[in-house]
Amino acid sequence: MYDFDLLPGDTVFAIEVALALFAIAFVSFTAISIYTLIKTTLYQKKHEDKINLMCDVAYFHERGKRGNQEDSVYISPLDQLVQHGLVAACSDGMGGLLNGEVVSKYVTDTLKERYPFDFNDQMEINKMITGISDKVYEDYHLSAGATLVMVHIMDDLLNFYNLGDSNIILIRNNRATLLNNKQNYAAIMIKKFSEGGIDTVDAYKDSRARGLTDFVGNHKCNVQMTKRPMKLRDNDIIIVGSDGVTDSMPLNRIVSHIHPDQNATSIARMIKYGVKSSKNPRQDNYSAIIIKLRRSIV
Amino acid sequence: MIEYYTFKHRGDALDFTDEVFLRLVPNLTVALFFGSNLKVAPKSQALLFSEILNSEEGSKSIEYLSSVFDECLDEESEYLILRVLKNGVECYRRGGVFAKIVKDGQIHVLPNGVFGLSKGDCIVCATSNFYKYLTDEGILADALVSGSCNDWMNMLIRRISDQCQLKCGNLSAVTLKLND
Repeated sequence: MYDFDLLPGDTVFAIEVALALFAIAFVSFTAISIYTLIKTTLYQKKHEDKINLMCDVAYFHERGKRGNQEDSVYISPLDQLVQHGLVAACSDGMGGLLNGEVVSKYVTDTLKERYPFDFNDQMEINKMITGISDKVYEDYHLSAGATLVMVHIMDDLLNFYNLGDSNIILIRNNRATLLNNKQNYAAIMIKKFSEGGIDTVDAYKDSRARGLTDFVGNHKCNVQMTKRPMKLRDNDIIIVGSDGVTDSMPLNRIVSHIHPDQNATSIARMIKYGVKSSKNPRQDNYSAIIIKLRRSIV
Repeated sequence: MIEYYTFKHRGDALDFTDEVFLRLVPNLTVALFFGSNLKVAPKSQALLFSEILNSEEGSKSIEYLSSVFDECLDEESEYLILRVLKNGVECYRRGGVFAKIVKDGQIHVLPNGVFGLSKGDCIVCATSNFYKYLTDEGILADALVSGSCNDWMNMLIRRISDQCQLKCGNLSAVTLKLND
């Protein structure tokens, strides 16, 4: 215990100044803390629906048993991910037709030239793809063609575009789903059979079932696209690839080959070796882009 | 404006034991009866369900209508009633029949009660047998891609067909879209 009367006047003054400064510092600290807390809560409330997801991307591009590579892939620059989103596309030259590799390369080269695209203007992107298809039609008059699957990811939203029978696969909660509908004759036959009230076994046996009803190079093609974006989640895996992958590795086998904690490179490696190990004697070209979504740390 | 499309397929079952009913007055009311799991007289239960819906009772509130169904039908009956209101829908379901809504790029099961709708929202009402061959992500992707309810249903049927070639018992579903 101190008796302040016994202390010299200067010391008492110094103690009073120190106490005043401490009080000011304490009040300031409390005010700043409350202000920060309020600001953080308001920001979190405002942005709770909009989670930034980071895209981890990898790809493989293999020839299989074919003499030439008719698949072509495009991945937009990752340094523009935040500003313009990620675009990943795979084009597969149509087998049985000439110049498949030229057309598929033309498709991805044009996408590269035209990037960036406006994420919210799906009609404009549709018009661009239709333009590519019309140009191929003018040059080849149905003697050459390719498929195209393309995804556009912005923040936690996904738009996709499809022409033909390549694949956009979403793996969520350890379950794979083909997002796009394949544009082939099987779809038309299934519709007819189901409307007639019969089963669709014969639709799959028909030799024309896998024939494409739409593709890049078709006159006035009908691009299948999302009219509104799909919401993505943390840990979603998206595979954009040619049918050479799924011909040898059905969706359930892809899921059994990968682990949700793997990064995109490991997943790409597992799928690539999965296709290779299936030892398909007529293995088509197989290419895929793997996108793993992770919640970003700001 | 609400657009809708209904689908009924016998599959490999001997008969239709599910039923899909629509009533347009006073509001569009969709009703699905799932009789495949009923051991006793599923056809007569479906008929009774239909008669109640088409009678004067059918125009009364969902709460009242569901109480009539609960009173008259077998206690193991499974059904769904969905009525379109001015700014949304009212839903009541029992058992393995449910509706899923696609809203803001996501899919959810529609709970019992009143639910607000906005333009572009899509709803699919179906029996559990229909959903068995589908994933939520597949239903969602098809809803976002399709231009009409008919398109959406065809895409869903394609997915089911890819799994089982439609040899899978009764398939009953209704797709609805609130157009822009």
